Amino acid sequence: MKKNISILLLFIVIISACEKDDFCIENPVTSKLIIDFYDDTNRETLKKVERFSIIAVGQPDSLFTNVSTESRISIPLNSLTNETVFKLKKNTTTNGAKADNLNATFTITYDKKEEFVSRSCGFKVLYSNVEFSSDTNSWITDFTPTIIINLDDQTAAHVQIFH
Amino acid sequence: MYKYFISISLFFVFVESFSQEQVKDSIFTKEKDSLMYKTNYGLRLGIDISRPVLSAIRGSYTGLEIVGDYRIKKNLYIAAEVGYEEKTTAEYYSNSTSKGNYIRLGLNYNVYKNWLDMNNEVFLGARYGFSLFDQTLNNYTPNVSDFENGNYFPADLITASTTAESLNAHWSEFMVGLKAETIKNVFVGFSISYKVLMSVKEPEDFKTLFSPGFNRIFVSNTGFGFNYTVSYLIPFSKK
Repeated sequence: MKKNISILLLFIVIISACEKDDFCIENPVTSKLIIDFYDDTNRETLKKVERFSIIAVGQPDSLFTNVSTESRISIPLNSLTNETVFKLKKNTTTNGAKADNLNATFTITYDKKEEFVSRSCGFKVLYSNVEFSSDTNSWITDFTPTIIINLDDQTAAHVQIFH
Repeated sequence: MYKYFISISLFFVFVESFSQEQVKDSIFTKEKDSLMYKTNYGLRLGIDISRPVLSAIRGSYTGLEIVGDYRIKKNLYIAAEVGYEEKTTAEYYSNSTSKGNYIRLGLNYNVYKNWLDMNNEVFLGARYGFSLFDQTLNNYTPNVSDFENGNYFPADLITASTTAESLNAHWSEFMVGLKAETIKNVFVGFSISYKVLMSVKEPEDFKTLFSPGFNRIFVSNTGFGFNYTVSYLIPFSKK
């Protein structure tokens, strides 16, 4: 009986050593900006951007290229600066006529703060007062809202872009 | 009428109980065994020798622990450990150092039946632990990792260190271990323990990842530890 107690205690110790906090299961840790694309004329209909690609100004490579399967994109923000400027490219085909490289600039400004999440995930960057602006005369005709207080929720879109 | 019969018979239940007293036997009184094996009672002091070894091997750790126990009953000891620990915890996204002192107080119960005058132990122990420490966040990298897009934006290592002072932790501990008398009055012991945190004072904007005496604090606020001790018994009396 006493032997059993010792074995049981030993077992508890061994089991307790096998915790699964060595892996960060939160993905992403730092929130990304989620954008939904809508049709400009029929404002409640999602509309994919044809042969879409996006690049941040100052970065050598595109974030992603040729995405035409989704009407929703989620993009990271640059945590080293207070502003991230993205160039969005759209390549349409209207009645067989290709209109390549329609550019639009989408600028995001924000405040940032670090917040501790957990041992394995470390610190996340909390973006707040996120403001959007876009250049006029581009394929982005409108977007809403123009400002969000906290970039936190990763289930719904933060901004809707009409085109 | 039958009802009364049964009720009346119940009275005799008590009568019966007095009838069975045994006649005292004066011939076979058990004689007390004059051959008693006595063992030493006293204060046992020692150190955890695993900690200086770990300090020498690992650059991220420095520690010292003094252990002691006092035998109060045949199988019962009051036990305590006091120590100092400094440990640097390196994680993927943070690097922090905890340093401070701790004390653990409790009881050990020996479940081992010794032969003759041997004085070995297989014990179960319970402890209350308390630690006072500082934790410094040496550096960290904000986690902006984005595996879908291959970490598009870089992240900087932030090296401005911040220290949270006079943090404390309280915990309870269950342990199992053994002690063997290798030379007269010199004991070598080993024990492992399972710890459950009762409370901890967390630093602002960070978390206590390591508490002296408790070791690494796991997500479920538990921890475990081990001890490898050499101790000397200062005998006070023989019982």
